[in-house]
Amino acid sequence: MSLPCGNRGARVGGRFAVLLGVALSFAALGLQRGEAAVPALYTAAQARSGERVYEHHCASCHGKQEQGLVGPALRGPIFASVKANYTVRDIFLFLSVNMPAPAPGSLSPLQYVDVMSFLLRQNGFPAGTVRLTATTAGSSAVPLRYHGGAPAPAVRAPAGGGCGRQAVRSAAGAGPAPRHCPATPGGPMPRALR
Amino acid sequence: MTIIHVLPRSARVMLAASLLVASGSCGMALAAGYPQVTGARLAAAASDNGWLMFRRDYAGNSFAPFTQINAHNVQNLHEVWSYRSTLKQGYEATPIVNGRYLFITTPKDHLIALDAVTGKVLWKYVRPMQGVGFKTVCCDVVNRGVALYGDDVYMATLDNYVVALNATTGKVVWQRQLKPADVGYAMTLAPMVLKGMVIVGESGGEYGARDFIQALNAKTGALLWRRWSTPAPGHPGGNTWPKGMYAHGGGSAWITGTYDPTTDTLFWGVGNPAPWLAKLRPGLNLFTDSLLALHPRTGKIKWYYQYTPHDSWDYDGVNTPVITTLRYHGRQYRAIVHADRNGWFYAINRVNGKLIYARPFTRATSVAGFKNGLPYTNNALRPAMNKQVFTCPSFLGGKNWWPISVDPMTHMAYVPTIHTCMTMKGVPTFYHPGLPYLGESFEVVHDPADHHWGALQAINLDTGRAAWNHESDLPWDAGAMSTAGGVVFSGSARGHLYAFDARTGQVLWRSPQLSSGIIAPPSTYVVDGKQYVAILAGWGGGTPIWGGKMVPAVKQIPRGGHLYVFALR
Ligand code: HEC
Repeated sequence: MSLPCGNRGARVGGRFAVLLGVALSFAALGLQRGEAAVPALYTAAQARSGERVYEHHCASCHGKQEQGLVGPALRGPIFASVKANYTVRDIFLFLSVNMPAPAPGSLSPLQYVDVMSFLLRQNGFPAGTVRLTATTAGSSAVPLRYHGGAPAPAVRAPAGGGCGRQAVRSAAGAGPAPRHCPATPGGPMPRALR
Repeated sequence: MTIIHVLPRSARVMLAASLLVASGSCGMALAAGYPQVTGARLAAAASDNGWLMFRRDYAGNSFAPFTQINAHNVQNLHEVWSYRSTLKQGYEATPIVNGRYLFITTPKDHLIALDAVTGKVLWKYVRPMQGVGFKTVCCDVVNRGVALYGDDVYMATLDNYVVALNATTGKVVWQRQLKPADVGYAMTLAPMVLKGMVIVGESGGEYGARDFIQALNAKTGALLWRRWSTPAPGHPGGNTWPKGMYAHGGGSAWITGTYDPTTDTLFWGVGNPAPWLAKLRPGLNLFTDSLLALHPRTGKIKWYYQYTPHDSWDYDGVNTPVITTLRYHGRQYRAIVHADRNGWFYAINRVNGKLIYARPFTRATSVAGFKNGLPYTNNALRPAMNKQVFTCPSFLGGKNWWPISVDPMTHMAYVPTIHTCMTMKGVPTFYHPGLPYLGESFEVVHDPADHHWGALQAINLDTGRAAWNHESDLPWDAGAMSTAGGVVFSGSARGHLYAFDARTGQVLWRSPQLSSGIIAPPSTYVVDGKQYVAILAGWGGGTPIWGGKMVPAVKQIPRGGHLYVFALR
């Protein structure tokens, strides 16, 4: 696995973790190969509930695979880039007061933390044992960089091969996989709208 | 550059040749005979057989002199051809027509040239967007269409390029980037061509960009002048900002302006100040939410009129300033009329910038009234940190950008309207290039007194009062067009193109339900003596993103773009 921006990111993150007293655990993986670790800022369970928050409140605009639709992509090297230069704090403080766009600030603090965890996972940040909180997310100077494909959780595709998120995930593997899932049903308008 | 020639070269040559023969005496041969768009033709665009610019003419009336399709026969309209695009975002372009060439743009800046009679695709240009994140595009990745001049067609892009392409081949002639992508700036507007210049304006009021109107040489792309909409210290208006804040003050210029040859004035609207929360930037914050009257050769300001002083509600002043004449209290005026986001319909003397009258065209509480020709706000309805207000209209406006049409025969303005209010309160914000810079959270809700989300209404120019009103349960998010046939055309969110009796508002005809809802303005043109009406369906834009309580009402509207062209049976 290559970590294009991992070195700098992890070191800055580590420094701030000490400075701010933010509890961070590091994925040991890769250290001995000369690659700096990407900090583990959230737990796997948080990312899983964040995935559900994302499905219900974010996917319609940012895409089922965070690839962007009417809102920007929330995954990948353009979103989490050196050029954009976001920290975890920047993105968390922004999304927790301004998203979801139709009703900014309307989710619970827990939901915001969870969806942040999910976005970290989708951008290749590893899960750890320490929970992300509104305080740690809102003060984390860890640079938000894309660290490669999101790990694909072991999920079953729903019977009948639906276009739900689960199916997409399992198909996605290490990156957004194109799938033929219509964004909206084609054909004539739903009856309610006639 | 990706140019997709849909037809093989040999087929294109054959097509051109066959159309040459077919077009016979009219002299408008395809490809071989693209009619030059001269300055004189643009100046006389109102009476041209095509549709040469955004609002048809420099005055911005969107009124066509054609009478073949009229109030008596409009029910005989039927679809003659259509063109489907696969992108699922919003379609906001006006079909622009010169001779037999019809140009549309799609979301993410694809430009397609079609035969206006048959719908055959002549060429297609797909803007390369590798590496572009569309991060600072608030209200869908839309494009509002092209401008024409000489043999060229011009498009402004989401990554801040002005691109000139050859109208018959789709080959890029020149392109120039005004700002990098994803750091606050984006362009969505249809460019304007005036006096050999291409003029565009930047978006970015939600991201702390410092916006501007830019003129370029239409032949070369050389930069000519730039009018910053938030002045630096030492410049006129510079003292209306707290120290340094003009540099991230917004003032986007995201809708095409108009031009008055009688006073040689270029009119351009300016958007909201940044951040949204006004308490963070004490002062009038010029020239945000203002009408600018500019010298077209230099971009120098002749005068300005600020529609909303020290705005805290995102009331962009960009809606098209339409050039007309009217009579008010017995006096004749050369006027600008403008239906503002803040819910007021303004008539302004276009010679000196003085207010003639202002009247609310929907529920409007934030701007409370006028004193000595200037608006004043209800300060109790200004949000602050931890202070939530309820005010009207919502930040989406009494109307959003959807352009009005002004009919010189009925002397009415046809105004797409939404009936919304909002809750709004101050929240923390910080400036970071690429992220929104708002300082407010909000939710769009119903106007308690009117539970229709939208309407198309006619306003009498001489009084500012409604002449007729067509209410709609869903928002009315589409531009209007009127014709000498006594018909007003506009599209609904449900996907019907409507034809209204221009005098009474009676529905004369409604198209079959199109494949998506309509947020674009229609256009009309004549080829070989036959009149056509063109409209893009393709729901999207700001409403389904920021529409709050409107969002569930429009969620089921199918997505996807579809250009429809109608003519008489
Ligand atoms: C109805 C559409 C919509 C929904 C729903 C929505 N967003 Fe957004 N989001 C946008 C748009 C449009 C932008 C572009 C920036 C702007 O104007 O705010 C954006 C921007 C963002 C950004 C900034 C990205 C960048 O690179 O600048 C983040 C992060 C984000 N949204 C997260 C979320 C999350 C998390 C949710 C769900 C809780 C969500 N959004 C729900 C439309 C939406």
